[in-house]
Amino acid sequence: MLELPELNPVIHGKLRLALLSLLSGVEEAEFTWLRLKTGSTDGNLGAQLLKLEEAGYVSVEKKFVQRKPQTLYRMTEAGRTALTEYVQALKALLGGAIG
Amino acid sequence: MTQNAEDMELKDRLNLIENMIAEGRRTTESWGWTFVLWGVAYYFAIGWTAYNQSPWVWLVTMVSASILCWAYIWKRRRSQPERKPGTTIGRAIFSIWAVMGISMSLLFLGLGFSGRFNQHIFVAVVAAMLGVANGASGMIVRWKAQIASAVVWWAATVAACFGSNEQCMVVFLVAIFLCQIVFGIYLMIGEARARKQGASHA
Repeated sequence: MLELPELNPVIHGKLRLALLSLLSGVEEAEFTWLRLKTGSTDGNLGAQLLKLEEAGYVSVEKKFVQRKPQTLYRMTEAGRTALTEYVQALKALLGGAIG
Repeated sequence: MTQNAEDMELKDRLNLIENMIAEGRRTTESWGWTFVLWGVAYYFAIGWTAYNQSPWVWLVTMVSASILCWAYIWKRRRSQPERKPGTTIGRAIFSIWAVMGISMSLLFLGLGFSGRFNQHIFVAVVAAMLGVANGASGMIVRWKAQIASAVVWWAATVAACFGSNEQCMVVFLVAIFLCQIVFGIYLMIGEARARKQGASHA
């Protein structure tokens, strides 16, 4: 019998999946832009980004621009690989269900 | 959970990925006005050259247009609360136009101050450079309208090598009108429509 792939639990959370997908299309993104695009609260967004950072899927850079703090997030190579594998696993699980 | 519900859940995840990637790449930036601005700047420089053959004419006009362009972009970026993140495609297109701008400025400087200005060569080289920038940008974003604009510039490059000075100037004026003014307005209309859709989407 064909063994079905398991879905990466770190990415499977809806907000974390949205964040990784957003970051996959851009070079880097500010915390405020991610908040705007996901419609999430500061606390939840910060917590989910921390989980992605701990898993090594995103890197964070904090700096000051015109005396204002700025937090920038970038997707790492590990994050890109994990997202690609997740999409492949999803497609494998769905099999013929996707047209 | 039933198999059907599980499939729906997984499909929902796949849709989320696609939507978020598209959202990240969506741009609300507008660039149509830059084509119109530079088209007007070319016309201004051509008109000024008719009265004054100074080598400074093109340089002063191009530098002024650059300053205007950067000032507007800087003001617009400052007024946006959330900075739009850059994409690799955006950086590639910006690089093409920035490098073309530097090349063109050096060409204007060199031809102007050496006194070896030849209208045919000038128009042919400028049209070729604009063809390269439009063609490369159009191919990167797979946009036929911009590739068509590049084709017009390339046709102007060839045409500028033949005929009289007056015919050469007519070719340049027509190419500017089509590829800067008309294309710029077309782009602005498209951007306005996209902004409208984006606003209703948000």
